[in-house]
Amino acid sequence: MIETFYDVLRRQGITRRSFLKFCSLTATSLGLGSAAVPKIVNAMESKPRTPVLWLHGLECTCCSESFIRSAHPLSKDVVLSMISLDYDDTLMAAAGHQAEAIFDEIVNKYRGQYILAVEGNPPLNEDGMFCIHAGRPFVEKLREVAKDAKAIISWGSCASWGCVQAAKPNPTRATPVHKVITDKPIIKVPGCPPIAEVMTGVITYMLTFDRLPELDRQGRPKMFYGQRIHDKCYRRPHFDAGQFVEQWDDEGARKGYCLYKVGCKGPTTYNACSTTRWNEGVSFPIASGHGCIGCSEDGFWDKGSFYDRVTDIKQFGIESNADKVGGTVAAVAGAAVAAHAAVSALTRARGKQDVKDQAGGN
Amino acid sequence: MAYETQGFNVDNSGKRVVVDPVCRIEGHMRVEVNLDSNNVIRNAVSTGTMWRGIEVILKGRDPRDAWAFAERLCGVCTGTHALTSIRAVENALGITIPENANSIRNIMQLNLEIHDHLVHFYHLHALDWVDVISALKADPKATSALQQSVSPSWPLSSPGYFRDLQNRLKKFVESGQLGPFMNGYWGNPAYLLPPEANLMAVAHYLEALDFQKEIVKIHTIFGGKNPHPNWLVGGVPCAINLHDTGAVGAINMERLNMAEKIINDTITFMDQVYIPDIVAIGSFYKGWLYGGGLSGSSVLAYGDFPDKANDYSPSNLMLPRGAIINGNLNEIHPVDHADPEQIQEFVDHAWYKYPDETKGLHPWDGITEPNYVLGPNTKGTRTNIQELDESGKYSWIKAPRWRGNAMEVGPLARWVVGYAGGHAEIKGSTDKLLKDLGGVPLQAIFSTLGRTAARALEGQWSGYKQKYFFDKLVANCKAGDQSTANVEKWDPKTWPKEAKGYGFTEAPRGALGHWIRVRDGKIENYQMVVPTTWNGSPRDPKGQIGAFEASLMNTPVAKADEPLEILRTIHSFDPCLACSTH
Amino acid sequence: MLYEHSVDALDKIKDAKLVKAVYVYEAPLRLWHWVNALAIVVLAITGWFIGSPTPTMQGEASDNFLFGYIRFAHFAAGYVLGIFWLVRIYWALVGNEHSIQIFVIPVWSKHWWSEVLWELRWYLFLERVPKKYIGHNPMAQLAMFMMFTVGMFIMLFTGFALYGEGLGEGSWADRLFGWVISLAGGNSLQVHNWHHLGMWLIVTFVIVHVYAAIREDIMSRQSMISTMISGWRMFKD
Ligand code: HEM
Ligand code: HEM
Ligand code: NFV
Ligand code: SF4
Ligand code: SF4
Ligand code: F3S
Ligand SMILES: [Mg+2]
Repeated sequence: MIETFYDVLRRQGITRRSFLKFCSLTATSLGLGSAAVPKIVNAMESKPRTPVLWLHGLECTCCSESFIRSAHPLSKDVVLSMISLDYDDTLMAAAGHQAEAIFDEIVNKYRGQYILAVEGNPPLNEDGMFCIHAGRPFVEKLREVAKDAKAIISWGSCASWGCVQAAKPNPTRATPVHKVITDKPIIKVPGCPPIAEVMTGVITYMLTFDRLPELDRQGRPKMFYGQRIHDKCYRRPHFDAGQFVEQWDDEGARKGYCLYKVGCKGPTTYNACSTTRWNEGVSFPIASGHGCIGCSEDGFWDKGSFYDRVTDIKQFGIESNADKVGGTVAAVAGAAVAAHAAVSALTRARGKQDVKDQAGGN
Repeated sequence: MAYETQGFNVDNSGKRVVVDPVCRIEGHMRVEVNLDSNNVIRNAVSTGTMWRGIEVILKGRDPRDAWAFAERLCGVCTGTHALTSIRAVENALGITIPENANSIRNIMQLNLEIHDHLVHFYHLHALDWVDVISALKADPKATSALQQSVSPSWPLSSPGYFRDLQNRLKKFVESGQLGPFMNGYWGNPAYLLPPEANLMAVAHYLEALDFQKEIVKIHTIFGGKNPHPNWLVGGVPCAINLHDTGAVGAINMERLNMAEKIINDTITFMDQVYIPDIVAIGSFYKGWLYGGGLSGSSVLAYGDFPDKANDYSPSNLMLPRGAIINGNLNEIHPVDHADPEQIQEFVDHAWYKYPDETKGLHPWDGITEPNYVLGPNTKGTRTNIQELDESGKYSWIKAPRWRGNAMEVGPLARWVVGYAGGHAEIKGSTDKLLKDLGGVPLQAIFSTLGRTAARALEGQWSGYKQKYFFDKLVANCKAGDQSTANVEKWDPKTWPKEAKGYGFTEAPRGALGHWIRVRDGKIENYQMVVPTTWNGSPRDPKGQIGAFEASLMNTPVAKADEPLEILRTIHSFDPCLACSTH
Repeated sequence: MLYEHSVDALDKIKDAKLVKAVYVYEAPLRLWHWVNALAIVVLAITGWFIGSPTPTMQGEASDNFLFGYIRFAHFAAGYVLGIFWLVRIYWALVGNEHSIQIFVIPVWSKHWWSEVLWELRWYLFLERVPKKYIGHNPMAQLAMFMMFTVGMFIMLFTGFALYGEGLGEGSWADRLFGWVISLAGGNSLQVHNWHHLGMWLIVTFVIVHVYAAIREDIMSRQSMISTMISGWRMFKD
């Protein structure tokens, strides 16, 4: 028997009153009306505390770091009261055999009921030995643990897309999780890292409503990834007005103008930064003067300089962008046309001469 | 087989114990040790078990973009690689930065130092010293008394507070779902704290977890987010505007106030929680002085925190630079990053290929070409390793050497170099701690405990230095200078056809360097030698062992099947494997 | 069927000498041509500025909306382009045989290819007497298909895919064209790139096209520009 969420809260000495308060806060933070509160209360009272196994592949652990920054709910409350974080290399007390033993125990006891959270990704080159777990390829461990999971969360851009280790030439063949595990529901929570409250928001949503969040075409929860940074950016009026930062620390920069011309990728980046913001709403990249580098987007690492508006096209040589390639083609066409016109004029003149000559000859 | 190296007698004849995965670190790591008949470690093998190839990936990219890739080496020491990278690019291209940018960068780097040390101690390392389950037996009143005696001003100290906490813990444990505490080594005889101290530490585990998320807001203010804030070649991306219309779009008075509050709160936490905890825990463990490894013989520090902008010479750095070898604390050798004879990396025991593996390569000429081959005596198979063969290649970490010596880097190394060189603040804080621990001799710092204590002292020091640079930033703005970036050489057209440079920082885990070659506006070669590359180094052609390996030597293990002492000592370095192999 | 239709159009060549004037381009097609030309000029200019904006405007953000207007003009012209393109496709099905020419290339017809080669020789000054075509000459047809027709589909699909991002998830443009972004690998930066390159394709086409039209008008002894105005092709000998 798995305990219900409510049992756990009660057991931790949380009163029914503060439990109800928690539920209505959850409703507000998810943008749901007060009508949803009884639903949440009911859900929490009857739902088990879900085991989570958190695996690490090739990564930098910034997703874990981000996770522990969560302010609402506090990460300690998530870990102590909401889920049962039974495996996580970064935080767990055990190591070696004792750590490995946990897999068997949880997988057997909670078959089909645990959530697998993956941070980082498996490399496939070198038989997977660019990431070794207990002497074996990480990808094998991933497959084993995924088999009986209820659902998989792909944390961050590594698990979702590949991230910097998958950048050209991707020497390890770092591969996002959904390309390795194809028979499980996968929720991608991209970002490098994702925002803390987005991470805990996705988890609490799943616990609260006992269902997977609605996903967009690319497998991201619509509730946090449905719009671009640009759609909700507070610098947008400057964009529409045509007021841009032209160079670092210029007058526009000091006035908070739009960062489009210094490469902001906000117009092509789906994430909650411009609304939820970072670290309890303190700021987000654009608000602190740097353009968005598109860190939650697939391939953000291989789309040319972070500071160019019109990005590179690698196929045409490393320095080319659309304007250089296209402009060259158009210019060549223009030059060819001019040359052709000149020759045409000449031939025509000569042609007339020929006709005249012929006429004269007759 | 047995042999002598660096004062250790390495003997792999005894019983082999394997720990994989090593948890509560960043990334993937494996340790193998041999125990003699008395369960004392006589051979240690440490292995980095991941590689991503970021050095390979950086080739051909725009040097101005490199920081964002380098930063993503690690989300734990987030930012330090970015800073090192922009310093390398600026060094190569001759770019100078404004004073304000220097202050802001230093504040951010110090902030990382503080955050990383705090999280490491409380959330990654503490469970090596603290028995969580034992805390259930504590008397909350006695715990309260202990708390008030070690830190009289800290408000969270009432008996009721500890009783509530203990109740929460009790119910958690009784649930049978132990979460991250599952299968810990609870009750192991190597745990020496009384229940009251354990309960106090558990309370601070949770307090620190709540507080750490406040600290990093400094990164968010200046860099837009944490982890992985934003940086800029030539300065910092955040503009300052204190007086004019539109200031709300920049660093303004409100932002400065927020930063100042966090800086002050941080100092309080360091002074009233972190340092007292180190004293409290240290006083129970001061008899357990294993794990010194190379710290008493070979340590290396690059120095960091330029007081004035653009001057990276030792006299302008607030942390010291220097190398100590052969245990001679009376001689501090100067360190030159550009000297091809000083810093070199070897790969004869690492999974890489060099044309000639008997020689090391200076990072400017460094090569990173993976080559996964196992030694002939490996037990198991290529994809199912039972026991490694340390006579062959056995790690994804390269072996860096300073003038041929394996070195320890990190807070303890910095503290040793500083102490030996008479750095007043370092010497003062160290002596005070030794005194507070009841007159422990200086020798005691060359230990696992010393490493953990040095980290705490450095965290505290960094708190005050954050304040120093904050005040400096404000003073400079007051004097009329609000500039944050120098864009003279932003455009690649202004760059020379070929250039090379290096950048360094003192990362939380130790001396960090990036070396870059630029050609035709693109990165031609990029090499990083990272703190955990130094500490986690495998052997070299001379058979010298790395700092992790050395630190485990001669340590007795209470229970061979519970690697608590191994974890304790390895954790004291705060290993970061994603960093080390990159 | 369509395919044969387009071969038929080519067959009319033989008769050219016998007639002095033929009605080639029906009114809807002519109207489309000039509206299309105008829309593309607007799109290329505004598109250029979307990619490389003008210097920063002075004053308060609330007093300015330059970039908003530029983008609005782009999107409005984009709609015009798209709607007229639908009309044009309809006309290809119901209009005369010339109207289908730019959509279908008779790739399997040897005769057609030999005519392409012949035209190539003409443009390379290797032939002295131009041939006369009622509709497009085969070279022009090929160029139009490759650069214009394909180019139009690229621009419309990528353009409306990007437009769908602004309208938002679930909008009509997102539902109809969102797949283009997935096709590009999921990052719409790539779609911007294609869209931007597509602009240059069309610009190149326009340069060559306008030149060829004027040149043919003068050199091939048959009307061109006026044909696209009146619909009648006049043969001068
Ligand atoms: C943005 C500019 C323009 C575009 C995209 C464009 C496109 C086209 C297209 C697609 C056709 C083929 C019509 C059909 O068969 O369906 C065409 C025909 C034609 N266009 Fe344009 N056009 C442009 C500008 C012009 C201009 C400025 C002129 C006059 C100088 C011109 C003169 C003609 C003529 C004469 C034809 C008929 C060619 C023939 O019969 O082979 N066009 N144009
Ligand atoms: C010949 C036709 C067109 C040309 C030459 C053209 C040109 C351009 C160019 C150069 C850009 C800038 C791309 C960049 O660097 O990001 C652009 C952006 C765009 N175009 Fe077009 N375009 C055409 C048709 C269309 C159509 C039919 C639509 C549909 C509404 C459209 C919608 C857009 C949108 C939504 C953007 C992005 C605007 C933004 O990011 O603010 N375009 N176009
Ligand atoms: N080793 C290491 Fe780092 C640090 N500190 C980097 O330079 O942790 Ni990820
Ligand atoms: S997604 Fe980014 S932040 Fe998360 S592990 Fe990968 S590199 Fe680190
Ligand atoms: S700063 Fe970036 S996201 Fe914000 S309006 Fe400008 S381009 Fe869009
Ligand atoms: S860079 Fe990343 S953090 Fe947000 S603003 Fe852009 S998605
Ligand atoms: Mg390296």
